Amino acid sequence: MRGRVLVLGSIVVSLLLVGAYLAAGGSSYEPKQVQDPCKPRAWSNPQSLSEIANQFSNSALDGAACQLGVSRETLARALATPEARERFTEKYGIDDEKLARAVRAGLVRAVDDAEDAGALSPLIAVPLRETVQRIPLEQAIEIIDDAEGFLGDVDSFLGPAGDIIEELLP
Amino acid sequence: MPRPRVAALALAVGVVLADSSIVVLALPDIYRELDTSIAGVTWVLVSFNLVMALAAVPAAILARRVGPGRTAAVGLAVFAGAGLACGLAEELSTLVLARCVQALGGAAAVTAALELLPATVGSERRAATVWAAAGATGAAVGPAVGGVLTELISWQSIFILQVPVALAAAVPILAVAKHEAATGIIEPELRRTGRPHLWANLALAMVSAAIAAALFLLVLLLIEGWRLSPIEAALVVTVMPLAAVVGSKLDEFVADARSRAAAGAILVSGGLAGLAFLPKATIALTVPPQILVGIGLSLVLSALTETALGGRAPQAIHGGWTISARHAGVVIGLLALTPIFTADIDEQRHDAINAGTAVILDSPINPLLKLDLAERVSERLEDEEGKVPTIGPAFEPLPSDPGERAEVVQLQGELQDQLDRGATHAFSTSFILAALLGLIALFPIALSREVEL
Repeated sequence: MRGRVLVLGSIVVSLLLVGAYLAAGGSSYEPKQVQDPCKPRAWSNPQSLSEIANQFSNSALDGAACQLGVSRETLARALATPEARERFTEKYGIDDEKLARAVRAGLVRAVDDAEDAGALSPLIAVPLRETVQRIPLEQAIEIIDDAEGFLGDVDSFLGPAGDIIEELLP
Repeated sequence: MPRPRVAALALAVGVVLADSSIVVLALPDIYRELDTSIAGVTWVLVSFNLVMALAAVPAAILARRVGPGRTAAVGLAVFAGAGLACGLAEELSTLVLARCVQALGGAAAVTAALELLPATVGSERRAATVWAAAGATGAAVGPAVGGVLTELISWQSIFILQVPVALAAAVPILAVAKHEAATGIIEPELRRTGRPHLWANLALAMVSAAIAAALFLLVLLLIEGWRLSPIEAALVVTVMPLAAVVGSKLDEFVADARSRAAAGAILVSGGLAGLAFLPKATIALTVPPQILVGIGLSLVLSALTETALGGRAPQAIHGGWTISARHAGVVIGLLALTPIFTADIDEQRHDAINAGTAVILDSPINPLLKLDLAERVSERLEDEEGKVPTIGPAFEPLPSDPGERAEVVQLQGELQDQLDRGATHAFSTSFILAALLGLIALFPIALSREVEL
């Protein structure tokens, strides 16, 4: 009799523990998924230059990663330092020219995305698109790294003239 | 009853069987210091248990032929000598070899002790109780002692300190050995050795596999996953032996060994399943599952040992079979689960690096900080080679702007949470498999009878 009580008690206690842990989310863990860089990443409605720059960098990384067939996260780590870049190009058998083409393509996608989201006017987007397609790799990486500085410079370069031209455009 | 001799025999059994698990908390230190892999360092445990499993029965036969006093004394001397070699080892291969020799000596000492105990305590039943209790105590307190020594001194000290303990246990036994040498071997009873209790020993092997996995995985989770120091981890896993003490009291209330064994196996499995489904990476949540495993292991090990030895003679040979079954189970548990959880840890590390980078890239912090931070975080993850790092140093110095600083601190918390949950999750499959092993043991337990000669 006592033996049965002991066995039944053990079953009940074990089920209670496992049930409580499952109810508290014990089996819910899923690692944060890495998004396919070739799929469009939704732009939130950007309010400040910093927010635009953030999304601009991410779009550029997505575009470049998509061209290279790696994740945005892998590319971001690769572009952080020259040593990381060297390890990356060795591992994936990518030369600097291919990397440069991909990063430029990424920047073009970033300009497109920013324009589509209304964060960049067409007046700024057109010359920007042309510019980023011709810049060297180091400068392209710098733009991803310091998108805020880059977009700020473009904005101040056009200055009030940009607003006037935009008003005159149909 | 010559108390010093009983104490010496119990100490001998305790120190040898503690050795099966005493290095568990030192494994991360050995792993780093000897520059090996997790799979490689597992052999520090596996080699000892494998040799114990293989040598226990031959050692028991030897004890009956050569004399238990001499076998125990020589066994303890070999155990101590090999312990010294373990402590001085500078390479994994030397350490593993010394562990094998240690297990040979240990097997001789433990089985011979069971042969000596009936004459010392007055009855075979009492001898089996003292022997099983000493072994269970050693196995239960082993990890905590090992953790404390590793942190306060070094992993080598675990082995070096075993030398005086083993020699101290050998001193009172020397008198028996001298007596045997003077009078010749005490003729063993020549009755035929009965068959070992198949079902009880099979169940012992399965449950031991589950318990070994529980201990090994929990320690790795605490030290490698949650970054606890060995002494902190030792304190945490002390819950199990404390619960085992409570579990041993239940023996008095339930006479039926099969019920105790079944209840114990269920509790061990329930505890392991609890560890598989930890909702958060917090120490407090490991306590209830550990209590279940502790009570369960005390119930199931004593009940199955009792069943395996009950009505059987000679005790040393059948004790040898139980030692063999328990250690074979430990080996099976470690060898079966190590490749699974090392693969899971590798996968988790890869996911963690990507998840960490994604968290940083998606955060609203200044883009200027992002790439650098992503690289520093992944460097920390890679440098730790599987150990989940404290991510804080990768975020230093914090930005001076209060708004930016708050964003970075929030990001740091989010990232650490991702890493901790990922590390915890990496052990889930192995804990579930270990729980299944415990449940499968219910079949041989159901088929076991106390006397099956």
